[in-house]
Amino acid sequence: MNHQHSDALEKIRAMLEEILDLEGKEISEGTYLYRDLGAESMDLLELAVALNQGFGVKVQDEHVFLWRLRFYLVEARKNGTDALSHLAGKYPFLDSGRIAEILDDLDEGPVLKVKDIISYVEYQAGIIAGGRADGLSG
Amino acid sequence: MGRRVVITSFGIVSSLGSSEEVILESFRAGRTAFALSTFYPELPVCPVEGFNVRYYTGPCKELRYLNRGAQFSVASALAAIKHSGLGKDCLAKAGLFVGAAPNLDIGGEFPEIHDGKMDRDDLQALWILRFLPNTAASLISRLTGIRGENMTVCTACAATLQAIGEAFTRIKAGRLDLALAGGGNSSLSPGGLLAYKKLGALYSGEKGPALAMRPFDSERGGFVAGEGGGFFVLEELERARERGAHIYAEICGYGCSLDAFGMVAPAPDGESGRAAVLSALGEAKITGSEIGLISSHGTSTILNDEAEKLIIESIQGAGRPPVIALKSWTGHCAAACGAVELALSIILMKNSLLPEIRNLREPCSNKIDFIREPRTASFSSILIENFGFGGQNCALVLRGPE
Repeated sequence: MNHQHSDALEKIRAMLEEILDLEGKEISEGTYLYRDLGAESMDLLELAVALNQGFGVKVQDEHVFLWRLRFYLVEARKNGTDALSHLAGKYPFLDSGRIAEILDDLDEGPVLKVKDIISYVEYQAGIIAGGRADGLSG
Repeated sequence: MGRRVVITSFGIVSSLGSSEEVILESFRAGRTAFALSTFYPELPVCPVEGFNVRYYTGPCKELRYLNRGAQFSVASALAAIKHSGLGKDCLAKAGLFVGAAPNLDIGGEFPEIHDGKMDRDDLQALWILRFLPNTAASLISRLTGIRGENMTVCTACAATLQAIGEAFTRIKAGRLDLALAGGGNSSLSPGGLLAYKKLGALYSGEKGPALAMRPFDSERGGFVAGEGGGFFVLEELERARERGAHIYAEICGYGCSLDAFGMVAPAPDGESGRAAVLSALGEAKITGSEIGLISSHGTSTILNDEAEKLIIESIQGAGRPPVIALKSWTGHCAAACGAVELALSIILMKNSLLPEIRNLREPCSNKIDFIREPRTASFSSILIENFGFGGQNCALVLRGPE
């Protein structure tokens, strides 16, 4: 884990602890936000505010929190496209290994993990550094 | 005989204390929390010192959405439920009736509005919840499991007493067997104080904080803002007996009315206020003359106390029941005053204590038995009066346990 990466984890952990009023709960990259931490969508809206401010990146709620994931899967099925490549197009901040993992995990409940949020903010920061301030759109 | 409604538990958070023991000690020692505001140094206030809602809730992510009044609501509601011993299984069908006021802590949420621009990077996504009056009800429901008939009442200083009256009415009518009713409020934020200061309701004289609140005194000149909360478990009598619950009091009558007069000042003849009082007494089948104690609204404003004096003189009959004014001890908790004063009244009845109306040197009426020195006397019925901005009048009649 590089230095920036662990910084991001630390920042997000602090945000989650504050927003969810958690004390002494282990939060790692593999922690599920809904399943492990009991987060609700309203909590994630507050997390988006914190991410915007803490990372200086433009956060789009429905992207970072994968809110349209299941809608995209239906879309892929309708269009006859491969789910993995369809999701890769929608979520460029997730690598194909993580997308495959998500596809295997769908039946267990909401799939969002802390590491997805780290991937998102790092990707967005890279875009800003690369001069594309608009980031992910629609 | 119809269904009867009793109070089997209550929780209170007040500047006099948050338990029966501490509150009694405050009354006996004459200990109050009146002090000068840090924000407007000319204004006395009456804060609840050292309050932390988390002490009542434990870790709770929704606390971020509670304004201070809603915090008092949630804290006193949880205290009432905890003390009642009722579990979530019983509470699912219970009702919830909350008195609340608008959040006036506008500067706390938006400290720097320029040219109407309110947005900023760290503004909470759900900041609206700090301003919605039913946020307290939502969280109390979530934390206690209450799912039944409910209402958030926003009738200014009559709000919490009216919420309790509405719960009483529904249990009596058979719509509910169990309800939690009360509320909390704070007017001590810079915005809250500014609101009451601008309209000239606050005491801003030279007497100093301890002498500022003087209900029914000829030198009164406005109220001192206070804060707090109280909640009550109301139950149908037979149900309460069956489960062996402790009974603090029976609610026997409730009345409410509107003045059809001013948006702030009470109607000077007190006619509608009197109608609310008579309605409560009538339902309780007791006369003003037979009442054991009147807990007055007594705000220490020129207009309220003058109109209320007329009401008391007209209903008290030959019995001339003693009159107390609890705001002389707590300041004016506005929307929460009914719940706070009901809780204090129950404690006073249980302990046969009548606290003096503080600072009452020259009473505005010589026909009324205002309590001027602390008395020990048992009494078994209480009339509680609250009158709010907008001409909102409310009265409740209680009897002690049989």
